[in-house]
Amino acid sequence: MTVPMLSVTGLRAAYGPVQVLFDVDFDVAAGSVTTLIGANGAGKTTIMKSVAGLVSATGGTIRFEGRDITRTASHDRVDAGLCLIPEGRLVFPGMTVEQNLRLGAIAPRARAGHSGMLQEVFRRFPRLEERRAQQAGLMSGGEQQMLALGRGLMARPRLILMDEPTLGLAPVMVKQVFETIEELRTAGFTILLAEQNARVALELADRAYLLENGRVALSGPGSDLLGSPEVRRAYLGM
Amino acid sequence: MILGVALAVFGAAVPAFGSPYLMGVVFQVAMWIALAQSWSMLSATTGYLSLGHAVFYGVGAYVCVLLTGTIPFELALLAAAAAAALFAALVGMPVLRVRGPYFVILTYGLSELVRHVVMRIESALGSFGRMIFDVPATEVLLWWMVGLAVLATLGAYAIRHSRFGAGLAAIREDEVAAETVGVPVTRLKLLAFIASAAIPGAVGGLALLRTSYFEPAQAFDPVISFTIVTMALVGGTETVRGPILGAVGFALLSELLWSSLPQLYMIVLGVTLIAFILFVPRGLSGLVGRIGRAG
Repeated sequence: MTVPMLSVTGLRAAYGPVQVLFDVDFDVAAGSVTTLIGANGAGKTTIMKSVAGLVSATGGTIRFEGRDITRTASHDRVDAGLCLIPEGRLVFPGMTVEQNLRLGAIAPRARAGHSGMLQEVFRRFPRLEERRAQQAGLMSGGEQQMLALGRGLMARPRLILMDEPTLGLAPVMVKQVFETIEELRTAGFTILLAEQNARVALELADRAYLLENGRVALSGPGSDLLGSPEVRRAYLGM
Repeated sequence: MILGVALAVFGAAVPAFGSPYLMGVVFQVAMWIALAQSWSMLSATTGYLSLGHAVFYGVGAYVCVLLTGTIPFELALLAAAAAAALFAALVGMPVLRVRGPYFVILTYGLSELVRHVVMRIESALGSFGRMIFDVPATEVLLWWMVGLAVLATLGAYAIRHSRFGAGLAAIREDEVAAETVGVPVTRLKLLAFIASAAIPGAVGGLALLRTSYFEPAQAFDPVISFTIVTMALVGGTETVRGPILGAVGFALLSELLWSSLPQLYMIVLGVTLIAFILFVPRGLSGLVGRIGRAG
């Protein structure tokens, strides 16, 4: 078996005295969509932030393409090819769409040829090109999500971490976000997705992990979890 | 545009050699430009508003007074800038961990702390103000100050138009988002802090040589910090010309007031700041831009 693109073992994290993650183990295979599902407060966002380096792990190891990055600074992780699309999108509200995108390529490796990348992002999201001079904070939630994703792509990541990309979006936009994730997988990106919208996420996922109170409660191929009575009862309302 | 403004300052200095009074005014204007422009390197770019820039001015003045007579004054000024930058590097890490109003209060508190420490040291040494003899000619000091104003302006311009400046702007907009796109947030903030401290150190040294008298309460006077912030905000923080407009406007205004109504100076400072924040949030620079577009 080949080495997974991302391998997390025994991950622990805490906010002050409150421990949030308890020995979390999971892998993300190259070219796959891996999903973390679970209720609010289960630890999905904390896992995402730990992998991106925004929250420092209090225990365990995070390996990216075989390299231990547990103590690596977040900007060096971006430069290594790992990019977080944060929960709540966090676009730079006072800047234009184009300025947002250009900032996405601020990491040294992404700097070269970032104009070409900008064209590629515009090709993938024509809406962003139409709005390139628009102030980002004035756009709709769906457009901001597109922008956050486009800004992430500007860093030329190999692994994209998407934290709750459908949060607060209209149903039609939710559908579009999932279509985009499919397209990105087809284009060769590896994706780790944290989602509350369990059904669609599991339908899409090559592999899924169910989190409960900071621990992995269940894992397997997305379709297996979709068929599991436990998941159906607790998360799909069936 | 920037070079034009810089040259205008330069040009204004030339005829000043005629009258000592005019030289004094130009010295003051250049000093405030240098200070406000340096302040903008950190505070206008990142939104971390420093209310303690007097500390760098004071550290520079103190280092300069200690060194004066031992080495040429040019070297003493360099040492003053280096000392201020070093001080910023040392305190930057902890200070830059807090944001918003906490950062404002912390920088103010830090500046006051250093002022009192230096006052204690000086009185323990039995010194109540140090006189300096043998200072360079006023023209020489003036040229240096104008040079610093130009340097600070070019520096502020270079920062704003670089990737460094883009990173700082990202920090101002949303620090967490900046981190997720790969901006080395801690490093950039510290570098901006150091950059904004160096020139004020040299300015403090020069101002000391001009007054030829060092007194800690004066060198670390918090009014210096307040004036810098007021000038920068009145001038406008969105452009490089903002601090220049604010510094020129205020320095000239204070010249008028000092000569006619000295007790009103601080009141006018306060009223102007309030009026600008309420009615002209983008400062004189925004006002000029608007008029330019309308005409």
